[in-house]
Amino acid sequence: MLRLIATIRKEWLLLLRDRAGLALLFAMPVVLITVMALIQDAPFKDYQEIKFDILTVDNDQGRLGRYIREGLGQSGQFNVIDSLGQQPLTAAQAQQLVAEGEYKISITIPKGATGEIVSNANKIVNDISKRMGMAAQLPVKAAAADSLAVQLYFDPAAKKAFKSAIQQALDNFLTQVQTDLLLERIQLQLRKRDSTTASDTFPAIKLKAVGLQETSIGAGKQIDVISNSVQHNVPAWSIFAMFFIVIPIAGNMIREREDGSLVRMKLIPGNYGDILGGKLLFFVGVCVVQFYLMMLIGIYGMPLLGLPRLQMGVDHLAGFITAFSIGVTATAYGILVGTVFKTPNQALNFGAISVVILSAIGGIWIPLEVMPEKIQAVGRLSPLSWGLDAINDIYLRNGHTRYILPDIARLLSCGLIMLGIAAWVEQRRTG
Amino acid sequence: MNSIVVKDLHKTYAGALVPSLQGLSFAFEEGRMVGLLGPNGAGKTTTISILCGLVKAGSGHVQIFDLPQDAAHREAIKRAIGVVPQQIALFPQLTALENLRYFGNLYGFKGKPLLQKIHHYLELFGLEKAASKEVGRFSGGMKRRANIIAAILHSPRLLVLDEPTAGVDVQSRSMILQFLRDYNRQGNSVLYTSHLLEEAQQLCEDVVIIDEGKMVVQGSPAALIQQHPHSRNLEDVFLHYTGHAVRD
Repeated sequence: MLRLIATIRKEWLLLLRDRAGLALLFAMPVVLITVMALIQDAPFKDYQEIKFDILTVDNDQGRLGRYIREGLGQSGQFNVIDSLGQQPLTAAQAQQLVAEGEYKISITIPKGATGEIVSNANKIVNDISKRMGMAAQLPVKAAAADSLAVQLYFDPAAKKAFKSAIQQALDNFLTQVQTDLLLERIQLQLRKRDSTTASDTFPAIKLKAVGLQETSIGAGKQIDVISNSVQHNVPAWSIFAMFFIVIPIAGNMIREREDGSLVRMKLIPGNYGDILGGKLLFFVGVCVVQFYLMMLIGIYGMPLLGLPRLQMGVDHLAGFITAFSIGVTATAYGILVGTVFKTPNQALNFGAISVVILSAIGGIWIPLEVMPEKIQAVGRLSPLSWGLDAINDIYLRNGHTRYILPDIARLLSCGLIMLGIAAWVEQRRTG
Repeated sequence: MNSIVVKDLHKTYAGALVPSLQGLSFAFEEGRMVGLLGPNGAGKTTTISILCGLVKAGSGHVQIFDLPQDAAHREAIKRAIGVVPQQIALFPQLTALENLRYFGNLYGFKGKPLLQKIHHYLELFGLEKAASKEVGRFSGGMKRRANIIAAILHSPRLLVLDEPTAGVDVQSRSMILQFLRDYNRQGNSVLYTSHLLEEAQQLCEDVVIIDEGKMVVQGSPAALIQQHPHSRNLEDVFLHYTGHAVRD
């Protein structure tokens, strides 16, 4: 125990005197998570919080135009703009503004669109009435030469997902208007047939019998934790920063080998495992402190920059176990790199580049789900992805310890395997 | 009792074309001050590494105070030996006191007794005023002296030194050599390597000259000089046995 504590104390003193190492471990990650959260705030908000201006030209002035304007406005994602400088917007102006990149989208509702929908509904109702032996016929327009369509103009730079979301929303509005009008016509026809029933007592026809409701599947109290820039970037880049501990550890080990202090430690009676254990515990502790420092920045620092506050789930013990396990794996990786490589240059270059690659494929930069399938399969082998997966289970899905056990088992097993390889390499070297 | 017995020691490092040791044998009694001498590449550092258990011998036999250097006796041998490596095996970012306290803790010493011991040696080696200075900022001589202290904190019966006076000034060398004489007078054994043959001649009771991984000759400096009438000193004896060809 004395050897273990002495080693922790020694590592603490060495770290305190290594200003560059301290900056790498603590200051750089703070800058990194702040910059990444700020930069990625906009892309994360694309479909969640950002309100887009949408140019609307209503040449119809009927129910369809009103439904579309109201529907877009009520969705909370769009500012409907239908006039410029007190003048109603024209289709040509709207196209021009989108083409110039001033706006992302314009919608033009053609003249007579509502009339066309009403006529179509009447035609359906007449057909039904005829089959039921009813005489009353609703007016139907003569068939138009060309079918009418709501025209959409997108900024050429608009993302595919954005375009598809808008198209889906508009398609919903169109279907809704057409359904409403059809039901209205049916109701009208039924009233004509049963003229004794007062119109105000006639039951309304309701089409939507079953709706959708989003509920939290997490076991905890917290609901509606949305993956935003802070929820993704703060834990993700904290894990990345924790793995960067490979650089000070590998540097420290190679220096010990080069300056002979490793030889001295090995010449002293007692198990070298105590010394290695002290080193491991110290750096795991540094990783955990680093992780919680970043989380504090997420909770208290991010809101000061106008970003959302980090939510840490309901099971804080699970969060600690995850941070500790990531720390063990990161430290073991540092010990392995420090053992295998002979010069600081080799170790530092390999360590830094390998962590960047592991983080890129492990979903730190962008979520794993948006990557190609093959990359996803490889990415799931990255310890950084196991760590991030466990953190997401706790922070976003309100998971408890049992949810994260598979990831924790993977992280700790990986750490133990790396320590085993390091011990084998060291043993071979002395032979 | 012999301090060290080395019998027919062989060692070839992985990937090396030439063996480092080719049947090296020598022995010396407890309480002696012995110099292990040889040109560059003769096998001195390999011999010391095998004696301390840092490197495994290819074949042969090593005994330290009658204990075979094997896995079963390694810990006991480590307790009996103090090693001063050629490198300054200290943490340059830590002060002398912090370094010595750490290595003392690794030996199992702690608290006031350890601090008293450290301060005693710092005073003995003229480093008491530099106790709180980082070792990386020490002069070459100060580093060498601190390096020796770290090896004797556990009062070993056998002190093994690999070129302990390389690159130090006259004052530091004098202090180190005086310490070695005193340490030896207390009944402890000392094995040291050096290229400074004049120093070895003054200091050692016995010298072992090795070359190309084999022992060439062993004896007291005076006896060896006497055996070779044309030799004025140990350097002449050394050149007689190892030749004048430059070694790399």
